[in-house]
Amino acid sequence: MSAVITATGLSKRYGLGKNATPAVDNVSFTIPAGRIVGLIGPNGSGKTTTLKAALGLVPFDGELNVLGFDPRTQRDALMKEVCFIADVAILPRWLAVKDAVDFVAGVHPKFNRAKAERYIASTKLKPSMKVKAMSKGMVVQLHLALVMAIDAKLLVLDEPTLGLDIIYRKQFYQNLLEDYFDEGKTIIITTHQVEEIEHILTDLMFIREGKIVLAASMEEVGERYTEVMVPSEKFNAANALQPIDQRTVFGKSVMLFDSAGPNGATREQLAGIGETRNISVADLFVATMKGSYA
Amino acid sequence: MNTMKWLLRREYWEHKGSFFWAPAVVALVMVAVVALTIGYGMAAQPMDGTTTVVINGHQVTHSNMINAMGPDGKAMMANAVANGYIMAAAPLFGVLPFVVFFYCLSALYDDRRDRSILFWKSLPISDRDTVISKVVTALVLAPVITALLGVVTAAVIALITMFGAGFFGVHIVGAVLANKAFWLAPFQLIGLLPVYVLWAVPTVGWLLLVSSWAKSKAFLWAVGLPLLLLALLRWVSFITQSFMNVGIDVKWVADNIVLRGLASIVPGFWLPFGQIERGALLNAEHTVDAGNVFVQSWMTLLQPTVWIGVVVGAAMIVGAIRLRRWRDEG
Repeated sequence: MSAVITATGLSKRYGLGKNATPAVDNVSFTIPAGRIVGLIGPNGSGKTTTLKAALGLVPFDGELNVLGFDPRTQRDALMKEVCFIADVAILPRWLAVKDAVDFVAGVHPKFNRAKAERYIASTKLKPSMKVKAMSKGMVVQLHLALVMAIDAKLLVLDEPTLGLDIIYRKQFYQNLLEDYFDEGKTIIITTHQVEEIEHILTDLMFIREGKIVLAASMEEVGERYTEVMVPSEKFNAANALQPIDQRTVFGKSVMLFDSAGPNGATREQLAGIGETRNISVADLFVATMKGSYA
Repeated sequence: MNTMKWLLRREYWEHKGSFFWAPAVVALVMVAVVALTIGYGMAAQPMDGTTTVVINGHQVTHSNMINAMGPDGKAMMANAVANGYIMAAAPLFGVLPFVVFFYCLSALYDDRRDRSILFWKSLPISDRDTVISKVVTALVLAPVITALLGVVTAAVIALITMFGAGFFGVHIVGAVLANKAFWLAPFQLIGLLPVYVLWAVPTVGWLLLVSSWAKSKAFLWAVGLPLLLLALLRWVSFITQSFMNVGIDVKWVADNIVLRGLASIVPGFWLPFGQIERGALLNAEHTVDAGNVFVQSWMTLLQPTVWIGVVVGAAMIVGAIRLRRWRDEG
């Protein structure tokens, strides 16, 4: 499968000269086609900057290839194949639903008008309704209707559900999976609500202070990381296996082990010290990012 | 080309209020004022036109007075109306520069402020096409809408006025309608569009550049910056004048850079600025002649200042496109 995005030595600095702070610091990664990638990191870690570079919205240093295009010089061609929702509720206030559909149908060669209209019909949106009269959730529904009807090879979602209630959020990801995603498409999502998307992700990328600290498929993550509930009598034995993180729940220690780390413990060893289970992305994230804000 | 059509349509959707409704309301008010004035005149005068005024001991009635004008006088009057009626649209062209000014200032600024630029940028539309669509909207779409409304308004006002005049015994409707100048005037008005476009490019370019660049307070930057520079220049000129006896021609800068940069979107700006003799616009009867205005306006294009303005304006539009492309919207 060919790569959708290949980054080599990607850097982006804000500011000039010695005061320049790198938002993205010499990062290299590859995203293959047909994946749903969660790009996850704390605030200010550089995830939005990385996506903006890939979408040709900001200048950057290094090499970046998106669907065979250089986002700096070939953005106009690239945007025929890529779509993005950069932020919630950013549609222009004066835009009416039917005008929005007409406009996108007019300018986008890969827009499927019937699909957009079908989706809109399933919501409370009315053709004459203007964005300024909509709730935040309805704006996102309209935006999603437009974007899902575009047959783009790559869809980038940067905090697409921020500020929405749980019903809109669930519906958003459900629609995305049922009506949009297929093996020919790739989706990159950033969000803080990790627990809501972890079941739809195929790949994880953790980014911290402009560096990628973890890039793996969900299967790899499941094989590599194990959480163990350690009873107090086995505490010292468990500690000897070098957990990468531990916390206490109801008097029991919950330890996190990385089998790929130095002296990584095997599954059998871990089973001997307590009850093992697969780690959640949120817990792994918190453990990985410890000290980020310190 | 199809994309451009949709981009222009988008501008019209967003600014229908200022491009169409603002001049339409002004036009309606103008027609209403004229109609009410003439209606009042008709109601206040006796119907038979026999009101007598004593001039030098002679009793004169309206009809007498008008008949005394003779056919020559009527022809002159009809000619003046046919040539000059289009000027009644002037108030609409007074609205236009304000509409265009504020449109240009907000064109590349508002969508950055409310971040909806990210939606437009998620579609396959180049920044060049986006900016060009705004240039075309400001320089062609808005003036054409105003001109069309202006022609209709001027014609309606002329007809109302002539109808009113007929009521007092002056029947010139036929003579006016038979005058080819009456039918030519709308085409001459629309035919001035290229002159308007070429003169207005630097102002539109400057405003779009500021609109694309400013992080806030676009109006202050667009107007305040040139005025501040002018004040600074005046101060420098004062210093050099006092100590070295070398002055800077501040007035020249004020006229040829600041005024030219900010006010070129005023229709007819080229008449005073292009140093057209007032006499050249008048006809033999010393009334403003639409044909003469048309010819003299086109003649201004022979002046190099027009073309310097076009080049500078185009450069600023290119600058606006580049800023639009690379400005980080956070």
